Amino acid sequence: MLVNSEQIISALIETIQMVAFSLLFSTILGLPLGILLVVTRKGHLLQNLPFFTVLNGIINIFRSVPFIILLVAMIPVTRLIVGTSIGTAAAVVPLVFYCGPYIARLIENSLLEVDPGVIEAAEAMGATPGQIIFKFLIPEALSSLVLALTIATIGLVGASAMAGAVGGGGIGDLAITYGYQRFDTVTMIITVLILIVMVQGLQSLGNIAAKKIRRR
Amino acid sequence: MIEFQNLQKVYESGGQQVAALNGIDLKINKGEIFGVIGFSGAGKSSLIRCVNLLERPTSGKVIVDGHDLTSMSVKEVREIKKNIGMIFQHFNLLNSKTVFANVAMPLTLAKLPKDAIKKRVQELLEFVGLADKADYYPDQLSGGQKQRVGIARALATQPSILLCDEATSALDPQTTSSILQLLKKVNKEYNITILIITHEMAVIREICDRVAVIEAGKIIEEGSVFDVFSAPKTQTAKNFVSTVMNDQLPDSIKEIIQKHDGMQRVFRINFVGSTAGQPLLSELAKQFDIHINVLFGNITELQGTPFGNLIVEFIGSDKEVIRALTYINQKNISIKEVAAHAS
Repeated sequence: MLVNSEQIISALIETIQMVAFSLLFSTILGLPLGILLVVTRKGHLLQNLPFFTVLNGIINIFRSVPFIILLVAMIPVTRLIVGTSIGTAAAVVPLVFYCGPYIARLIENSLLEVDPGVIEAAEAMGATPGQIIFKFLIPEALSSLVLALTIATIGLVGASAMAGAVGGGGIGDLAITYGYQRFDTVTMIITVLILIVMVQGLQSLGNIAAKKIRRR
Repeated sequence: MIEFQNLQKVYESGGQQVAALNGIDLKINKGEIFGVIGFSGAGKSSLIRCVNLLERPTSGKVIVDGHDLTSMSVKEVREIKKNIGMIFQHFNLLNSKTVFANVAMPLTLAKLPKDAIKKRVQELLEFVGLADKADYYPDQLSGGQKQRVGIARALATQPSILLCDEATSALDPQTTSSILQLLKKVNKEYNITILIITHEMAVIREICDRVAVIEAGKIIEEGSVFDVFSAPKTQTAKNFVSTVMNDQLPDSIKEIIQKHDGMQRVFRINFVGSTAGQPLLSELAKQFDIHINVLFGNITELQGTPFGNLIVEFIGSDKEVIRALTYINQKNISIKEVAAHAS
């Protein structure tokens, strides 16, 4: 094996950092966009078709660019925001541009599942659009939103592996540079195992949280 | 009070214009229970949704307690809505919140202090008979209990109007009856005007004071429940009435009539109000030389007045039968001969 346990641990920490920060910023970006995708559509609370069409288009564009291309294409933006295009912090920027629109779509889906009758009841009560979003839509969709964010987090674990291409570090980077490029089978197996455990753990955590919110 | 003035609602569907409401003029008085009945697609859903502007009419006026909603700003309408409670066919409760939180919702939105909310919600749950279910979630309740929560929620802000959108259509007959009794209690104790739309004539019979029949976006018949049930004018109203009044002749009776050889004549006698209390048949049998055979009949109560009809067979000579008929006519009781092929 060409790597030692210290390298693995620091790579693990880098992955966790990348995923955690990317998730945080992606959610900050994706949640409002997801809500807007729902409420501005035809027949909804704040119907605004030009806005909806543009937003929908932009999100589709970001969603259709392969992450490895986005990673490179985002370099100027990354430099502008982080000051450098190399390192873990720099990897967060393309990850957010990759994952934010994805989260927006997932949240859109979750919110659309809420029974339209509940929104109707809210309107009948004289609730404002803000009240309808925060006191009806989101609480009703919460369990499904947690599952959506779980999917996004696991997607980020996968994408963060590719961030090694911009020197982002992390477990995936270790797997590619040692396991794949230098034919170190043991490192390959260990890193893949770590990723499997991470994904399993995250999914279980998400399931438990969603179940707890849904109660029964 | 709710008033519709020449209300029109036109939907655009695939380039075609469909008129759901086609000039509705209707006045619902304060404190009454008013029912609107119609088949699916007749426009009754659109009509009730116009009262709190869940749907905006294409033209015409909706006047609630003297305010013309169609000319008000969105913000003003939101305030008015607090005076209009609404319950739904599928209850539309928040599944993520307890019974307590569901009932408290309109008060939370109005930003009432916590202890005032608590007091009011307990009062409401007491009223609908669910005081022990405050911490339950909607999916732990039966349909009838969910509708009770819906009613408590609709009453939270002490509205003067309650809209019932097919509120019992998803419930079994027994539960329907208990919910209707609760609505009656709401009407009596709080003097709340109730507008009910339904496709079930039994609902109208059980609690409404007045009824309107809607068809193709128009009110085709309107009147007190007693009048419409005892003397429906339009075919649609007749059809609805027959779903609960059961005044159609059963096939077995029709067969009997067809086998008759001419000595017997079959009549339908309608009893309304006090005439239902008279011992008419025994009087006839005593005074005239005829035999009377009751083939079919029923008597129902409508708004506290008995109403019914009997299908009877008079057996006797022509002369005696005619004398009997004259006697009945003098008593102001409606009687009509039934032909074998008709009902």
